[in-house]
Amino acid sequence: MKRIILGLVLCFSLVAMATDDDRYNDLGNKIQCSCGCGQILIKCNHVGCPSSDGMIRQLRASLANYSNDEDVLNWFRRTYGVTVVVAPGTHGFELIIWVVPPVLVAAAFLLLFFLVRRWRLRAAPAGVMNLDPGLEALKARARRETEL
Amino acid sequence: MPTIGSFSLLFALVLALYCFVAGIVALISRHPSAARLGETARRAGMATFIATAVSALALVWAALNNDYSLAYILHHTNRALPTPYKLAALWSGQEGSLLFWALLLSAYGFVLRLRHKVDRQLTAYASVVLAGIQIFFLMLVNFAGNPFGIMDSVRADGLGLNPLLQYPEMVIHPPMLYLGYVGMSVPFAFGLAALIMKYPGEKWIHITRRWTMVAWLFLTCGIFLGGHWAYGVLGWGGYWGWDPVENASFLPWLSSTAFLHSVMMQEKRGMMKVWNVWLIFVTFMLSILGTLLTRSGMVQSVHAFAQSSIGTWFVWMLGITFVVCLFFYIKNRDHLKAENKLESVVSRESSFMFNNLVLLAACFAVLWGTLFPIISEWVRGYKITVGPPFFNKIMIPIGLFLVFLTAVGPLLAWRRTSFASLQRNFAIPVLVAALTGIAFALTVHPWKDQGQFYALMAFALSALVVTTVALEFYRGGRVLQGKLGTNLFGAMYWLTRRNTRRYGGYIVHFGVVVIVIGLAGAAFNQDKEQEMGLGDKLQIGHYELVGQKYTEDDIANYESQAAILDVYKDGKFLRTLYPELRLYKASQQPDHVVAIRSTLQEDLYVVYEGKNPDTDRPIIKAFVNPLVSWIWIGVLVVAFGTGIALVPNAAQLRSPVSVPARAHGDPGQVSGLEPAGATK
Repeated sequence: MKRIILGLVLCFSLVAMATDDDRYNDLGNKIQCSCGCGQILIKCNHVGCPSSDGMIRQLRASLANYSNDEDVLNWFRRTYGVTVVVAPGTHGFELIIWVVPPVLVAAAFLLLFFLVRRWRLRAAPAGVMNLDPGLEALKARARRETEL
Repeated sequence: MPTIGSFSLLFALVLALYCFVAGIVALISRHPSAARLGETARRAGMATFIATAVSALALVWAALNNDYSLAYILHHTNRALPTPYKLAALWSGQEGSLLFWALLLSAYGFVLRLRHKVDRQLTAYASVVLAGIQIFFLMLVNFAGNPFGIMDSVRADGLGLNPLLQYPEMVIHPPMLYLGYVGMSVPFAFGLAALIMKYPGEKWIHITRRWTMVAWLFLTCGIFLGGHWAYGVLGWGGYWGWDPVENASFLPWLSSTAFLHSVMMQEKRGMMKVWNVWLIFVTFMLSILGTLLTRSGMVQSVHAFAQSSIGTWFVWMLGITFVVCLFFYIKNRDHLKAENKLESVVSRESSFMFNNLVLLAACFAVLWGTLFPIISEWVRGYKITVGPPFFNKIMIPIGLFLVFLTAVGPLLAWRRTSFASLQRNFAIPVLVAALTGIAFALTVHPWKDQGQFYALMAFALSALVVTTVALEFYRGGRVLQGKLGTNLFGAMYWLTRRNTRRYGGYIVHFGVVVIVIGLAGAAFNQDKEQEMGLGDKLQIGHYELVGQKYTEDDIANYESQAAILDVYKDGKFLRTLYPELRLYKASQQPDHVVAIRSTLQEDLYVVYEGKNPDTDRPIIKAFVNPLVSWIWIGVLVVAFGTGIALVPNAAQLRSPVSVPARAHGDPGQVSGLEPAGATK
């Protein structure tokens, strides 16, 4: 058991140890070029783009200045406005975007679970009462032969 | 010609109005002549196609003949534009694409009304619903976005087509997408018609399913052609950027996919009737919403080719559609009571329910992310940008779960599945999936990167699906093999012929898995950018690019700069690539022509980015994108599988079980027990 836990801790540590290149790629994919092309910063390839070169330099400088990724993104938000970051934040109003889909999915699964339970409870007695082996065999065969 | 086009458009509207009004009167009237009135309505509906086609032809004729007295032609073509792109001008702008939409809708309506003998009463109702939709689009194209607007003065040459649209796939991608979008109107019309008339039985759903499959196929092809276009033209090395317009096409695809699965529950077990009706309503409404998002400029998009103020029209259309659907649902909901209930959680029914729930969750997540900028503007006063990081984080796990369900669902029996059956069916697939996962993990060590970990999951789950599909064919084939006296492949062929829908569906699932493998390859993408003079080298992965020559050209439609690059792999010469940068003269807009060397293993994707203004040296950006071609191959497999599922089953004699099957003769006529796999 100890070995498994140790292995898991090692895996998580490896994931956590992001290099500067990883941070550059990760954050560069969360920032939009401000030239108006709508492209991700590190994918912007417009000839003579007035923004991307400067922004990429600023990104590299920010990586050196801030150890926290959220601080880097906040620096870009302050400098270029909130719309420059294409990955919504995980606090305040922007948290809603992350929370709503999983909460709704969980609620839907829960609803499905209760529905299924209710149906099963209702179906069980009816099934026993109407059980006719001959009819059931015919139904089973019809199902097989009209398989969708 | 413009006058004829404009008049035809107005005439089409009058015909659609007649079809709608006369159709309703004929349906509610008890007068003996009601049937004849209904017939005139049907014929008027068919005639809308001819009138709209004349109008579309007039616009194409104007484009081909450089008629710059028309504002639309002036703004979307020029003299030097190649002929295929002049044809494509029909759907390149706002007004033209609305006309194209109206044309396709009337074409679908023509086929629907022509095939009225399938079910006269149901078709009559569906025709009225479709006429209602036609009225909306014809009003729009007549009064809000008429493509036959005349210029005050005639210019010598046009302003040209957007360079991004001057690409072979753009001649076919929008029509495919529109055929999908517009095609969803037909199942909607049948669904609403069946609800209004309380249609007895499930025949309507059988008709609707085929129409939905056709529309779904077009939508699928349209979406992936769009991805292929983005890959070849935009020059950022990707094919899907979660742009709002891309999302708009994805939404009805997700809901229609859910419908195509859940509809089986209704056909087979008489369940999920309310769900199915609403799924088809929602799919149509999402098509309208997608058009609203595309046209209104409500959300920022790189596809903003045709934005204007017609969004209000679509909001009204959406509102009216919802109210009508809700009204008839409340009025006739008793008709939609399920005939059976779910008997076990481990059953085919519950797998369909999970499948539907997950597909709808995906649909909601995409819609939520797409609309969130608008919501944030309402609440906070500014638009938050929601891009790929959000969608990837939410959608990749959902997608993987769907792949899992794709593997599991077909192996579960209707009503309930025993534990022994689970063991028998899942032992081999799970073993293959586990071995695939372990082999991949040992080779790539994917725990260093979340994307690569997802890729591991995708490969393992894909192996699970492929094995289950292969086993289904194998088991079924083995049973038929003995009965038909043919070889295994011949038996599998007849197995598919005998149940095209089931085995066509499996082929579609296989195609989806091939696509998923291609998508998973993105976790291993590499890219590199550098200035390259003559003889300079760029090393990326196993490839080495060497700058051989840089050229410039000047033709009627555009000026261009191109690089000639020799490609070496592990020191061995492979081929020469010619990435290009064009500047279109009429619009003064630049465009990339990407050079791609594509193999099953990976794509070498090279972009000429232009010259560095400081050094005057060319900038080359290269990508190595693994497995991309699997995506395009997968789409072909999906299209093939859908085509098979649309083909009717080979004629079967359903003789009693005790009668021995013939070993010789036409295998399509041989009957007997369904193969073991078919009972799952």
